[in-house]
Amino acid sequence: MAKGRLTIGMLLVLGLPCQAEVDEFELVLKEHLFYPARLEVPAGRKVKLVIHNQDDTPEEFDSFDLNREKVIFPKRKATVYIGPLKPGVYDFFGEFNPNTARGQVVAVKQEISDAN
Amino acid sequence: MKNQLLATALLLTCCLAQADGYVVDKVYHPNVLPDEQRLEWRFMSRQNDDRNVLAQRIGYGHSLSEYVTLEAYIVGERDSDDNFGLQAYELESRWMLTDQGRYWADWGLVFELEKQHKQDAWEATSGLVMEKEFGRNSLTLNWFLVYEWGKALHDEFETEFRMQYRFRWKPQVQPSIEVFMGEDFVGIGPALMGVQRFDGQRQLKWELGFISEVSGIGKDHTLRFVLEYEF
Repeated sequence: MAKGRLTIGMLLVLGLPCQAEVDEFELVLKEHLFYPARLEVPAGRKVKLVIHNQDDTPEEFDSFDLNREKVIFPKRKATVYIGPLKPGVYDFFGEFNPNTARGQVVAVKQEISDAN
Repeated sequence: MKNQLLATALLLTCCLAQADGYVVDKVYHPNVLPDEQRLEWRFMSRQNDDRNVLAQRIGYGHSLSEYVTLEAYIVGERDSDDNFGLQAYELESRWMLTDQGRYWADWGLVFELEKQHKQDAWEATSGLVMEKEFGRNSLTLNWFLVYEWGKALHDEFETEFRMQYRFRWKPQVQPSIEVFMGEDFVGIGPALMGVQRFDGQRQLKWELGFISEVSGIGKDHTLRFVLEYEF
């Protein structure tokens, strides 16, 4: 039992938030459309997406590529953390309006500026 | 470094898993969605040298909030006379502790309370659930502490451990390797899970796994199957 408690405690400690600065991006859902429909984010870094639902109905942000599902209540905002992503295009859609509410996250490799 | 820490944690935890009964079951994931209802059917057939054990459960679940869901199950099993009948009732609650992707890993809790039909035999389970993404792969770990009590059985604590390493190939086909550990049981085997989406929040999820016991010399295989309709 003591060993079990020790292990669970250790695992919790391992999983404690070790968050670095996270870039924040915004998406707006209006009349069942995402704006922007193509959002560029830096590859290789964790990113915070803040999604504002301006519609009168709920929507579910869904992406198999990003492995994320999140319900956004009407006139509310929700936060989705994604990445670190490899460079590429990742589709997402609104599960309640999949024909109109569609978009892509494009993970772009950042150019490292050389000051020298 | 993180991988080394994770490997160490896994090794330590595996060594501590102690339980009896049927260890092979569903591997739980930490995420919960609000305003969701689900119907679930689980099937488990375990074949060893002596007999076949058949267990099925049907459940209904409803999200209570953005982070908590509650499910009720009735459990049926085939007895030693080959009669299939009602065996137990169960209440289960899953708690999402962290938003997906926010921290190094996602965390959740599982609580279960089960009573055997027509017997004074109870089982309370507390579980810790962790999921870690590696690109298109996901590692999911479950640790359970089980307490059994009642006049019909010997009061005792047990522990169980479950692991699933999954490749998210496409929504309908996500192959995985699963490991289940309890007292006198170490099982490993391939599994497949998938999801088919329909209109709105409706979707059908399935899981199929074939787990072989590897710590003993006798035959001990378990086929497990889950169908889950969310709406």
